[in-house]
Amino acid sequence: MQEDNFKPLLMGYLDSELTELESIRVEQHLEQCAECARELEEFRRLKEVTRNMRVATPDARSWDEYWSHVYNRLERRVGWVLVSIGAILILSYGVYSLIAKFLLRSDFPLIVRFGAVAIVVGFCTLLISVLRERLFMSRIDKYERIKR
Amino acid sequence: MNLADEGSLIERCKNGDREAFASIVNHYMRPAYYVALGYVGSPEDALDLSQDAFVNAFRHIKRFDSSRKFFPWFYSILKNLCMNHLTRERRRHESSIDEMAEEGSVPIPVEAINPEQSAVRRDLEVKVGMALRRLRAKDREIIILQHFQDYSYQEIADLLGIPIGTVMSRLYGARRALRRELEKLGVT
Ligand SMILES: [Zn+2]
Repeated sequence: MQEDNFKPLLMGYLDSELTELESIRVEQHLEQCAECARELEEFRRLKEVTRNMRVATPDARSWDEYWSHVYNRLERRVGWVLVSIGAILILSYGVYSLIAKFLLRSDFPLIVRFGAVAIVVGFCTLLISVLRERLFMSRIDKYERIKR
Repeated sequence: MNLADEGSLIERCKNGDREAFASIVNHYMRPAYYVALGYVGSPEDALDLSQDAFVNAFRHIKRFDSSRKFFPWFYSILKNLCMNHLTRERRRHESSIDEMAEEGSVPIPVEAINPEQSAVRRDLEVKVGMALRRLRAKDREIIILQHFQDYSYQEIADLLGIPIGTVMSRLYGARRALRRELEKLGVT
């Protein structure tokens, strides 16, 4: 077997992850290849140096609460969808009745009628965009807050 | 969890069954956290991003082919979130002289399994953490899973959706890189 293909097997050997047959093959190779034997020794040392170390791991409570955090975020999303649907329904009804009651009444000058409609439509646009921004920003915020 | 059990849980998730999704989350939350930690380096962010990734996965679960393993698919969602997070971090730090939160420069906190120990040992942990931060995210991920958290080759192969041979060659490359970085820090 080619040397380069062989080297990864040293990992399996080091971590006792090889089959018996593979282990024997590695041992046979090690007897005649000083380079692999030396490299294996270095990996052994690396393993020894880092023995009993682990990366930072959340405490038991964080794991217990993990699912409920995911669940709450799922809920929150459903909440936002409902709020948006509700807002859209109410706003469209408002615009509809505005058109029906106000625009069709001719006792106001045309320019006032158009002005009023522009204000209402503009206000709705601002409201929706602020809502959207709040939703978006709160997601960013969440990350920034933790960083502090 | 075998593929068939997982598949039937996923089918239930597709019908909006959150209890089924809870089983999936509880099964995969730890590797999800470790993968995220390899990318972002901060335990709080890793926890948070991995939870967000599960939320996104549930939202798009209908697109997922339940005859396949869940984690490799989930992994791509998680990785995306982590990369976006790093980009955001980098942008925030752009104007400051602070060291940038680039992929590959995020410190990884390393701790002892049994806390009573000497200052020499503590110093070594810091150096290992510094060496880890210099690895490529791909190398870091496999090192964290196998070398530090003792996942078996088979578990890693299943999680990442790669053959065992690839686990070994990636681990080989990653350990070499870790050794090189430790040598630079005077640890031999
Ligand atoms: Zn050799």
